[in-house]
Amino acid sequence: MASESFTMPAHRYVGRPVKRVEDPRLLTGKARFVDDLTLPGMVHASFVRSPHAHARIVEIDTADALALDGVLAVYTGEDLKHLRPMVSDGLPREELIAPPRMPLPSDKVRFVGEAVAVVVATSPYLAEDGRDLVDVTWDPLPVVVDPRQALQPDAPLLHESFGTNNCAHIADSAGDPERAFAEADHIVTKHFSHGRSTGAPIGLRGVVAEFEAQGGGQLTVYPSSQIPHSLRREIASTLGLPEGRVTVRVPDVGGAFGLTVTIFPEDVIIPELARLLGRPVKWIEDRWENLATSVHSKGMESTMEIAVDADGTFRAFRAHLITDAGAYSSLYSTPLCDSITAATMLPSVYAVDDVAYTIDNPLTNKCHIGAIRGVGWEPGQLLRETAIDEVARTLGMDPVELRIRNMIGPEPRRAAFGQTYDGGSYVESLERARDEIGYDAFRERQRTLREEGRFVGIGFSPFVEPTGWASKSGHANGQPVNFFDSASVTMEPDGSVTVTTGLHSHGQGHETTFAQVAADELGVDFGMVRVHYGDTDSAVFGMGTHSSRGAVIGTGSIVAAAGEVRGRLIALAADMLEASPDDVELRDGQAMIKGVASKALPIAKVAEFAYFGGEARTEAVTQRGLTATRTYDPLETYANGAAAAIVEVDVETGAITLERIVAVEDCGVVLNPMIVKGQVAGAVAMGIGIALLEDLVYEDNGAFVSGSLLHYLYPTTAEVPMLDLHSIQTPSAVSVGGVKGVGEAGTISTPAAIVNAIADALSPFGVSIDRAPVTPMYIRDVLRAAAERDPA
Amino acid sequence: MKPAPFVYLVPESPGEVVDALRAYGDGKILAGGQSLVPMMNMRLARPEALVDVTRIGELAGIRRTGRTSIGATTRQKDVLADAGLGAEFPVIHAALENVGHTANRARGTFGGSVAHADPAAELPAVMLALDAEMMIMGPDGERTVAADDFFITYYTTDLDVDELLTEVRLPQRPPAAWGFQEVTRRHGDFALAGAVVTAHTDETRAVDSARVVLFGVTDRPVRAERAEEALVGHRLDEAGLARAVAELATEGLDYTDDVHVPGRYRRDASVALVQRAVRDAAKSVEG
Amino acid sequence: MAIEKREGPTVVHLQVNGEAHTAVAEPRLLLSDFLRQTLGLTGTHVGCEQGVCGACTVMVDGSPVRSCLTFAVQVAGSSVETVEGLAVDGKLAPIQEAFRTEHGLQCGFCTPGFLISANAFLDEHPEPSVEEIREHMSGNVCRCTGYQGIVAAVRKAAELRREVTDGV
Repeated sequence: MASESFTMPAHRYVGRPVKRVEDPRLLTGKARFVDDLTLPGMVHASFVRSPHAHARIVEIDTADALALDGVLAVYTGEDLKHLRPMVSDGLPREELIAPPRMPLPSDKVRFVGEAVAVVVATSPYLAEDGRDLVDVTWDPLPVVVDPRQALQPDAPLLHESFGTNNCAHIADSAGDPERAFAEADHIVTKHFSHGRSTGAPIGLRGVVAEFEAQGGGQLTVYPSSQIPHSLRREIASTLGLPEGRVTVRVPDVGGAFGLTVTIFPEDVIIPELARLLGRPVKWIEDRWENLATSVHSKGMESTMEIAVDADGTFRAFRAHLITDAGAYSSLYSTPLCDSITAATMLPSVYAVDDVAYTIDNPLTNKCHIGAIRGVGWEPGQLLRETAIDEVARTLGMDPVELRIRNMIGPEPRRAAFGQTYDGGSYVESLERARDEIGYDAFRERQRTLREEGRFVGIGFSPFVEPTGWASKSGHANGQPVNFFDSASVTMEPDGSVTVTTGLHSHGQGHETTFAQVAADELGVDFGMVRVHYGDTDSAVFGMGTHSSRGAVIGTGSIVAAAGEVRGRLIALAADMLEASPDDVELRDGQAMIKGVASKALPIAKVAEFAYFGGEARTEAVTQRGLTATRTYDPLETYANGAAAAIVEVDVETGAITLERIVAVEDCGVVLNPMIVKGQVAGAVAMGIGIALLEDLVYEDNGAFVSGSLLHYLYPTTAEVPMLDLHSIQTPSAVSVGGVKGVGEAGTISTPAAIVNAIADALSPFGVSIDRAPVTPMYIRDVLRAAAERDPA
Repeated sequence: MKPAPFVYLVPESPGEVVDALRAYGDGKILAGGQSLVPMMNMRLARPEALVDVTRIGELAGIRRTGRTSIGATTRQKDVLADAGLGAEFPVIHAALENVGHTANRARGTFGGSVAHADPAAELPAVMLALDAEMMIMGPDGERTVAADDFFITYYTTDLDVDELLTEVRLPQRPPAAWGFQEVTRRHGDFALAGAVVTAHTDETRAVDSARVVLFGVTDRPVRAERAEEALVGHRLDEAGLARAVAELATEGLDYTDDVHVPGRYRRDASVALVQRAVRDAAKSVEG
Repeated sequence: MAIEKREGPTVVHLQVNGEAHTAVAEPRLLLSDFLRQTLGLTGTHVGCEQGVCGACTVMVDGSPVRSCLTFAVQVAGSSVETVEGLAVDGKLAPIQEAFRTEHGLQCGFCTPGFLISANAFLDEHPEPSVEEIREHMSGNVCRCTGYQGIVAAVRKAAELRREVTDGV
């Protein structure tokens, strides 16, 4: 077991709310985000994009654009035909079709906003002027925007050669669900239509690229990306360059939330333009492009059935999920990022081993879906937890009691579809949420308010989620991809420490938390450690930060690498102190004999000796110095927790007020409690958005009508109440240091708590909440329909 | 999203504004820019010239010469900060607190919002509810238009392309009672539906004249005249009055129906909001 | 016509963070781009160019303003303050210190806009309640923090600013 090979020494920094090293530059405006970069001779790109959801490209007339002063070049798909197609074939599942995608299409477009040409000019203003002068002749094609329609045999096809729009039809089961459904006392069915949302970080995507033709060619790319090395692979492959001649250097990133786990046509086009033009090229998206053309997420039509006995015991779960995949299979998430994740976690925290799912992944004329915070775990959670509340109402049982009755115990456990949960606080976290929100008192208050014609409600949402995503969690959860991650730790001659990693940080504070881990491992002052990430020239290969993996992978790889360096330092210090290595420890910047403070050397002295001590050094230090690179590919590790929400619904206007949210989080051993609280809070806020505000809407003809922040609604301070956050720490049984991930939890759990609360508030009206976001308009529709059914 | 090129003009008097608008047929007035510039950035608007009216001193400021009037380029934040105006016309402050956010109100102008005539905007509805008068300067000199005749349809007022709103004149006698209600997706957003009720009362506290205005529900703010008549002669706190007024106010309207908000929602919400505005008006005359 | 007219690039004079600047700008150049590109002050960020997200907020003549909705030529002769002007001689201003201790930032992209808006808010409301903070800060959007640290930071900054004025 991995955790036995590595130990984490006494924590001087890990577990403490160490202030972030990122903050000074971010607070003073000195950070460098991609749009802050300027290179000598740099020019600017603007993309010509389709106003049609589905259309043949008949002709592109660039003459007027080229004639504009300041426009240097215009490129179309024809001009970039030499680039290799982008194909999302990185997920080796035989059910998946992988339609190829040219960075700029020459034949047709498949969604509003798809780029067909790019204009390069001496300023972003002139580039847009040039863009407006490119004249495209289109031949519109039939459009399909409803995923159920897209599955029909007569639906317009997005990629004709495949003969289907369905990227994958997958069915799986475990145990004997059919028998359980046949024998159960009740079957409760729940439909849910989940809205389409996106990460929409405040920072806009961008790429700056520079190609140096001399000396064999060297491409340097500055993208806003979560996956520097993986991006390097794709750019190198598409442009026909060796990976070793491509440097990806990611500047500060203004938030990501999974957006830049996807690799976009712009990511390869801009570097190619830099190569063709022989000058640096910059592209920064605008907010419309961010909303319309990056990635969408979670749009899903779903049905769940719960087989339950009269006493409330869940017998089986069954679900059919249809994603609304958009026009392409994203690199490399594919539409499965939402469907297979929701499906394989169907049993969640419940002791249900008879389970079945079917998923379909039809392409539609919309922006493609990709991995966004919470992926399909969130819509899966919404579907299941609202279905469970329906069961409670059907059986006349308390929704908390019903859940606790069916929940698994805290020990590690094999889940129905083959995952291995590494233990948690499933029941404990739900009970904690129930107690913190004051459940019993709430029911009293609810009764009183109903008599006054006011409708408040409460909802619960216990969850378990895969974190530390890597090979084993991928294989166990339906996405059999092999991962490679590493960290390098070097102690410099003066005792300072450099950590490099193929992970990344775009708000999570890894520059701080990874330094905490390294400092504790090497017994040095936190201020002596510098963490450098996002640069393929400085870090050995890694697969980036996403899927709540940073803390787990970072800790494991850094402890391993630093541990090796520590071992060599201790052995050398033992020589220098004339003691046995077993008696030497590194602490507070000193190498000392345990318990004998007078027999100590500054670690810096040991380091200097390690470099320049000549023959007197140990063999290990002579051969390998004070640097180590170690990989880490953990066993599966699962975080858990529970959210609870209280809402009030204004039944006349449909307006929903979020009164309180309680979130209990168990992410194992906590590296920095301040940062963990921040991650949970941010994720909860995004969950509020998904539940109540955020929806990317298309009209029937494929027109995209949510392209501005007046329509795509962020939660603000007015919509996010002061949150009640609580922490439980059940160390992972398998990860180094017992650490689990935390970035997505609040997003996964919160929407279900809110939707359950709304349904609970409206239970006197006998309405069902079947869609998210729950808008005032929808509330009025369900109440009006209920009143028409039952005028009394 | 960068705007298309334009010529930038800085006139020094209202007359020069008119001259500039006549010289550039496709020119637009630039006051606060909070509505115009987003449209220009998205290239939905591409005026050939912008006429910046914010350097003309006489167009800004709140004047009290018998009646209170608000210069068209008075910043919304300055109207909101004017305690005297808030005491005299609290309904204006109630509306302004819901207009965007601090930074929008720092630049946005009172007259700019009125002249922009977004059907879901708060200020045009309040001007209609107050029976305000619009002072307009054009090539033929000055003219006055009552609010009743000013708001024509979506983003369209009685202003001609070469005319400038110079001032909004408020009524001599502020209403004794007022209520302002709206429903939005988030604080500061445009209204999905809204209602403003203003009333004058006699010595028995019965309404002797009233205005009931709905906004956000159709192509412009509209008065519900049958609802207004139903208020006359009644005390605002009379049982059943609010409900009856709301039913009358919300009948027969051509509710805007779009993919984001269906007309049936606007109607449902309006019924609730008119009732609440009437009840707020009743409370506003208590004590 | 004798009206002042700018067509194409013209000279603009204004004050930024207490320093006089003279630079060239065409009428359509947004103040956000003028600050970032022309003056190299990249601390002010652009998140939407619609006036909604608030990342571009700067002070103009003492009021917080969306620089993405303002043309540089409109503020000729005005005094502009950006995030770069908050710290004095390398010492963080109370609002910056508070954001740090209360973890009011994660990726940092929205932060300059929040700092400017929060400072302006505290100038008008030196002893705000949590509800007032939530209402007035709703014009700036953060996607990372869920606002808990931001609200705590604004409260903390109010305290720190009082300490400064009280000479503590």
